Amino acid sequence: MTLSGGPPMVTLEFHDPSGAIEVKQAHAPRVRALAGKRIGFVSNEQWQAYRMLPLLKTLIETDFPGIEVLPIDAFPQGNAVIGSEETAALVKASGVDAVIIGNAA
Amino acid sequence: MTNAVAGLGLAPDAAMVTFPIEMFLPGSDISPVQARKREFYDGLTAWRSAFAADGAGEAPMIRVEGASVEDAFARANNLMLANRWGDGLPLWPPTRQRVDWILGGTAQPRRRPLGTFPPRGGMTTIESCAIALAMAGGRPEYLPVLVAAIEAFLDPESGSAQLQAASGSAFPVVIVNGPIGAAIRLNAGFGCLGPDPQRPAGASIGRALRLLQQNLGGALPGIGTMANYGGLRYTNVVFAEDEANLPAGWAPHGTERHGFATGTSSISLAFANGATNIRRRGAKKETPEEDALQGMYRMADFMRTPNMPGLAGYEHGTPGVLMLPGVVAQTMAGLGWTKASIREFLWEHSRISAEHLRRAGCPAWIEIDASKVVRESIDLDPWPITASPDNFIIVVAGGGHPTNSYWLQGYSPGVVGRAIELPPAFDRLLADAERDLGPR
Repeated sequence: MTLSGGPPMVTLEFHDPSGAIEVKQAHAPRVRALAGKRIGFVSNEQWQAYRMLPLLKTLIETDFPGIEVLPIDAFPQGNAVIGSEETAALVKASGVDAVIIGNAA
Repeated sequence: MTNAVAGLGLAPDAAMVTFPIEMFLPGSDISPVQARKREFYDGLTAWRSAFAADGAGEAPMIRVEGASVEDAFARANNLMLANRWGDGLPLWPPTRQRVDWILGGTAQPRRRPLGTFPPRGGMTTIESCAIALAMAGGRPEYLPVLVAAIEAFLDPESGSAQLQAASGSAFPVVIVNGPIGAAIRLNAGFGCLGPDPQRPAGASIGRALRLLQQNLGGALPGIGTMANYGGLRYTNVVFAEDEANLPAGWAPHGTERHGFATGTSSISLAFANGATNIRRRGAKKETPEEDALQGMYRMADFMRTPNMPGLAGYEHGTPGVLMLPGVVAQTMAGLGWTKASIREFLWEHSRISAEHLRRAGCPAWIEIDASKVVRESIDLDPWPITASPDNFIIVVAGGGHPTNSYWLQGYSPGVVGRAIELPPAFDRLLADAERDLGPR
């Protein structure tokens, strides 16, 4: 059916303008469970991260006894540095099993 | 936010816990973190991407049917809006025929990759540009300018990866130099930042750029771009420098900033997030010298404001683009002003006192900046709004009238130039335009 209710008479075929996306690498695998793991935080120190991330650290430590959660400032902080290769190398060298990154708005 | 990591080659989803903006404001109630703590735990343990690791796919062709041409056209437009591919204004459906016609504007292979469009990571090709230009009502002779602009946009030096998503409402500014501007009917004179049926190229090229930003780059308001206001984004800003009215000895912008030989068709891409008219002319019995100097002070005074977008381009970019009409440039040149001396004056007289910076809370922004040059600038009093006078962009453009100048407030980590590559049959395209649109 058409807007005017009559039979189709004109066909328009056109390109999908949204293109394609190439996924070159998978996201990091998840840990199976948090108990006994080592967790890090990477903070940009913005958008109340200085309040929210410490709260989250406390919650994780309370809910998973024996877990090790590194201090919020264990890695360089701030938008200027958290995306750098240097910070990534520090995170890797720390031996953490998983990282939480915050905050964006 | 769903686009945030796709441009890095990762799938366009990620393990995220999102909250309303209110929680990110000073003094907010952050108890929702506790209430939703399981979502954080799941993100670390159970979350899986919905995309396959090798999930690249060809975009399909779309079919619509209608009882008439008008009906099919309406259905196509409705579909494009429903799929979030439009901008609210009527679009030309990018049919094979229309896209192939647009591709006559280049000798490059249609599949030639130009990069991935941030933040979503859409694969960008010559054909992508032709599709967007077709949708925007463009013509083949516009394509070389759009392709050069996209190459510059996707250059990491432009800062587009961050500005596409940021809240600061950056829009690209494309300045065209060389003979191509007049040849394709790109406006350099009266109304050059607005609509003009006599010189319509800038609107189509800028709109196509915006459609690419949205459809390949994922910059949908409130989803892929957090731009608070998004001003000037329907068509962005695309204009030509008025080289015919450049005073003797004043080099075109493309030559000054990027080193292109005079007469080279080129583009220069920067970002801005503000645009304002500055009343430049005097009103009574000023001498020519007083008129010029008072106008210069008025422009510098306008720039001397503790707003911080200039930080983005403090070291290598630009604090903004100052547009001077040709008649003003001619008069000022006659009084001995040059583009360089105008820059020096603006740099010196737009400096902000440390006290004004302090009361507006600016030092905190300066202290956290990624650039060492910016961080160290905090000791300067008065504080220059950019590291070097050379960073100011001065272009001669606008109507032949002396009253006003125009300031595009920069938000531009870099200013990227590209030479424009023309196809061998370009003159035939111009002849076609003459046939279709009438004489220039």
